[in-house]
Amino acid sequence: MNVRLQRARPWLGTLVEMRIEAPAAECAQRAIEAAFAEIEAVHRCMSFHEPGSDLSRLHAAPVGTVVAIDARTAAVLRCALDLAERTQGCFDPGIARELVANGFLPKPRSPFVSDAHANWRDVELIGDDRVRLHRPLWLDLGGIAKGYAVDCAIAALRAQGATQALVNAGGDLRVAGPREEVVHLRGADGAGIAGAVALRDAALASSAGAATRRRHDGRWIGVHLDGRDRSAVGLFAAASVVAPTCMIADALTKIAFAAPPALTRNVLAGYGAQVVIHGERGDLRAQGRAA
Amino acid sequence: MQVRWLIPLGAAAASQAAFATQYLSVQQAQQQAFAGTGEFRVVPAPDAAVAAAIGAPAGWSPQIFAARAGDKTLGWLIVDQVIGKSEAITYALALDAAGAVISLEVLEYRESHGGEVRMPAWRRQFVGKTASDAAALGREIKIISGATLSCRHLTEGVQRLLRLYQTVLKAQA
Repeated sequence: MNVRLQRARPWLGTLVEMRIEAPAAECAQRAIEAAFAEIEAVHRCMSFHEPGSDLSRLHAAPVGTVVAIDARTAAVLRCALDLAERTQGCFDPGIARELVANGFLPKPRSPFVSDAHANWRDVELIGDDRVRLHRPLWLDLGGIAKGYAVDCAIAALRAQGATQALVNAGGDLRVAGPREEVVHLRGADGAGIAGAVALRDAALASSAGAATRRRHDGRWIGVHLDGRDRSAVGLFAAASVVAPTCMIADALTKIAFAAPPALTRNVLAGYGAQVVIHGERGDLRAQGRAA
Repeated sequence: MQVRWLIPLGAAAASQAAFATQYLSVQQAQQQAFAGTGEFRVVPAPDAAVAAAIGAPAGWSPQIFAARAGDKTLGWLIVDQVIGKSEAITYALALDAAGAVISLEVLEYRESHGGEVRMPAWRRQFVGKTASDAAALGREIKIISGATLSCRHLTEGVQRLLRLYQTVLKAQA
């Protein structure tokens, strides 16, 4: 007889929820604790806010210094740089300067100010454990680090013997196991339900402009930016992406907002991913393959 | 990876239940944080003056339990609630005798607005592309994705409870 267990704890600036099934109560408890330990580790490595994180140490070091980082941070950074290349810079982890300027992130402790013209190309990843900046640049791994944390938690749950698992960290979630799970999608304005998706062994990420946008000096600002010109994108839309991993799904929601449709289709196809975009007044912009 | 997008068939395909989940009971939270402890003594909620001093809103009344073994206080489990724009979170903070955090668990999460299915136009993206499954879509909402609320209120709530420890509970250890 399978035991069900569900828990929720605050991490990664959101509520991380886990629902699992395991052959025994002890196994379930052990799996949950191991999975939350993974979430905590990713949080401590990649938080923009925490003074001791890899990112904070990178920002605190003089430009050009080789900074040692955790293998997990390197894995996320490698993925971010790869996505930046595939999307010709539409996706760029180097947009923290604009997020700080607009008050979405706190000003980091840093001997430099991020250069307006610096971007992902100025980040050099050395092996699996070091990184160097070639120009003054502040990095934000927020979204994809959250997706990666979900992936790590799922791996831990499976390794500990969970037979069915769901990890939901705000907009990023992943399911594993033989049973299909129905996930409802919030509307673009954050209220109501826009639809649902049934998933088996898949990840789903949702991003919506309504969650963070606000007026600033007479114009709308938000956290989703086109990496090429740093303009706000997806302010009045929501994107839901299904992909094999949560890290990729999270990144693809931002790419769907920022990249031209043809490029988005190509990138999605490269990962076997699917996207649905919905607007706030029912206006739609379909990109990618929806089924 | 297997995916089936479920299409809203119009405003009628509605699930009116508000999204809510209970994760743990107070008793389960007590047992998880202080395994094997039989005695949880109720500590009176702080009075209005203390609440004001630690920056809590009027009417604040957390449930406080002292975990005891014989004459010794092992720590405390404090159950509190934070309310955001549209959500309410009941959570339990467990502290050891020195005031260090043992665990932080969400006991219950609920959203105040209903989960009505809206924007039938959304389905146009799927016409001719996927099988609809209105029954599954209309089922009780167990899992929800997107535009989630931050845990800022929860973080502030925990800071409030840590001030409560410094002001009141520390002297009772």
